[in-house]
Amino acid sequence: MTASTAPVEPTSPGGLVRRRRLSMGDPVLAWGVRILSWAALAAVVVMLIDTALNSAKILQHESILDFLFGTVWAPASTIYGAVPFIYGTVVSSVIALIFAVPLALGASLLVNEYLPARIGGPVAYAIELLAAIPSVVYGFWGILVLVPVLRPIQLAISESPLGTIPIFGGPAPGPSYFAAGIVLAVMILPIITSVARDAIRATPRLQREGALALGATHWETIRHVVLPFARGGIFAGIILGLSRAIGETIAVLFVIGNQPQIHASIFSPGYSLPAVIAGEFKEANQPFHPEALIALGVVLFVLSFAVNVAARYVVSGFEARAGGADVR
Amino acid sequence: MSAETLLRRTSAGRGRTDRIVFALCLIAGAIALVPLAAVLYYLLAEGLKAWSPSFLISKPGGITTKGGGIVNAIIGTLEMTGLGLVIAVPFGVAVALYVVEYRAGRMAIIVRTAVDLVAGIPSIVIGLFVYSLVVLTMGHFSGLAGAIALSLVMLPIIARTSEEMFKIIPRRLREGTMALGMPRWRALFAIYLPTVAAGIMTGIVLAVSRAVGETAPLLFTALGSNFVVTDITQPMSALPLYMFQNAQNIGFPAARERAWAAGLTLVAIVLIFNVLGRWLASRTQIRLLQR
Repeated sequence: MTASTAPVEPTSPGGLVRRRRLSMGDPVLAWGVRILSWAALAAVVVMLIDTALNSAKILQHESILDFLFGTVWAPASTIYGAVPFIYGTVVSSVIALIFAVPLALGASLLVNEYLPARIGGPVAYAIELLAAIPSVVYGFWGILVLVPVLRPIQLAISESPLGTIPIFGGPAPGPSYFAAGIVLAVMILPIITSVARDAIRATPRLQREGALALGATHWETIRHVVLPFARGGIFAGIILGLSRAIGETIAVLFVIGNQPQIHASIFSPGYSLPAVIAGEFKEANQPFHPEALIALGVVLFVLSFAVNVAARYVVSGFEARAGGADVR
Repeated sequence: MSAETLLRRTSAGRGRTDRIVFALCLIAGAIALVPLAAVLYYLLAEGLKAWSPSFLISKPGGITTKGGGIVNAIIGTLEMTGLGLVIAVPFGVAVALYVVEYRAGRMAIIVRTAVDLVAGIPSIVIGLFVYSLVVLTMGHFSGLAGAIALSLVMLPIIARTSEEMFKIIPRRLREGTMALGMPRWRALFAIYLPTVAAGIMTGIVLAVSRAVGETAPLLFTALGSNFVVTDITQPMSALPLYMFQNAQNIGFPAARERAWAAGLTLVAIVLIFNVLGRWLASRTQIRLLQR
């Protein structure tokens, strides 16, 4: 064993010394890896604590309830309420899901089930490239190209009978929750599509063939075999998209209108949690304004963390059930 | 109604549903392709107006005046992404090794969860973290803080890809090193790392393609600068920051043109890295499956 590892004469004293050094390698490596890993962990923990402490300074100014449930954000009068931003984040993300989920599902079914791989592959690739485009590009494109396209549509809807429903009401100046939702939909479309595709592709061939052999049409096979099997994965993709939408900053900053108010209409300008941090932090010079923005960052962190945890929980539930179905 | 007509009618209905679903999927697929085409079209049509090779190498001018280039942004992006990689790669690979090779039980799970957590943190919050810890400590904005923020963006990607690669090292190879009596560190450097090098490279390329386009983590760390800065302890620009600052001055045609041109450059770089990364990923997959 010793002879084959090292090209060293085992009889020479120098060889013995060198062999000793060789065996030092393992503990050095193990500790090196350990220390780097623990350092990474420590850095994350320190950053979380440090940011939490910095944001907690807002509590010297107002109570946590006033901050979390306050509906007014007026730095000039040092009133800081988080609700307008939480509302904007939730509304724009929900709009994004409403548009992105059906498109992503349809596209992933098309690519996996209907098109031959030779065509479906490139189509899927093109959709997934959307995920690579930087958000600042989406934002700039959104305000210069998309908003002018959406403006007449928003106006038409708000002036039609539909406009009497508060959520479609006017005025509709252009930048809005709706515009932000559409840009977000474009941004999360590739994420949901690619996760859903992986899930759909994993459907066992035998089950699929079984359904077809029983005389099911293609759609019936999808409906009763593929979708139940891929449900967990598709859901995971949706949650992943949602957590991206919640945290998206720059693109939303361009198109949401940047007004820290709560509006019932999705065509009204608003603000979102990440966008207000990016938009106001540099000019924040009122007392407690920076602390309030950092605290909004903590709220955002907790929100996206909660979505991720919920996702893991629900997906594991799906997987358990799918496993049970397999046993049956 | 005879059984046969009933059967015929239902199967006609079933066939129709089948075709309708196909049509809907086709429409969804077509719509899903529109944004990419639209974004790329506008980038090319608008971006090429101000773009020229000299745009890449000239210094920036005033925000309202015509002309000016992006050399400061390119230098900043190179420096910060490079330094970010220098930080993220050792940590990322170490975390992967720790989790896979040195199954350290509870600590490994904690480290892994923390890195996963970082992957889920919105990038603007990463910017705030680094602001809180680095910028406030140093007392001023700096490229270093930007690089640290970018390294946090890259760390989970590199750790995750490396972990996947370490996991699929064939058992035979592991047993071979053990049968030869190789110490672990030698097995790592002589056998494992060369085996997974392509996979780690894939992670690095994908991480770069992500980090190069990030604006949010740089806003309160690197801040941006209108000068050519090479000193990493000073505020510096980066391509997405440069585009962002010009895009904010949307009222000035010159700034708008520069924003499109910078965006075109940025997207070109990001797409090159992204396509390269995916190509590497598919190649490593195939090679590993064959082995």
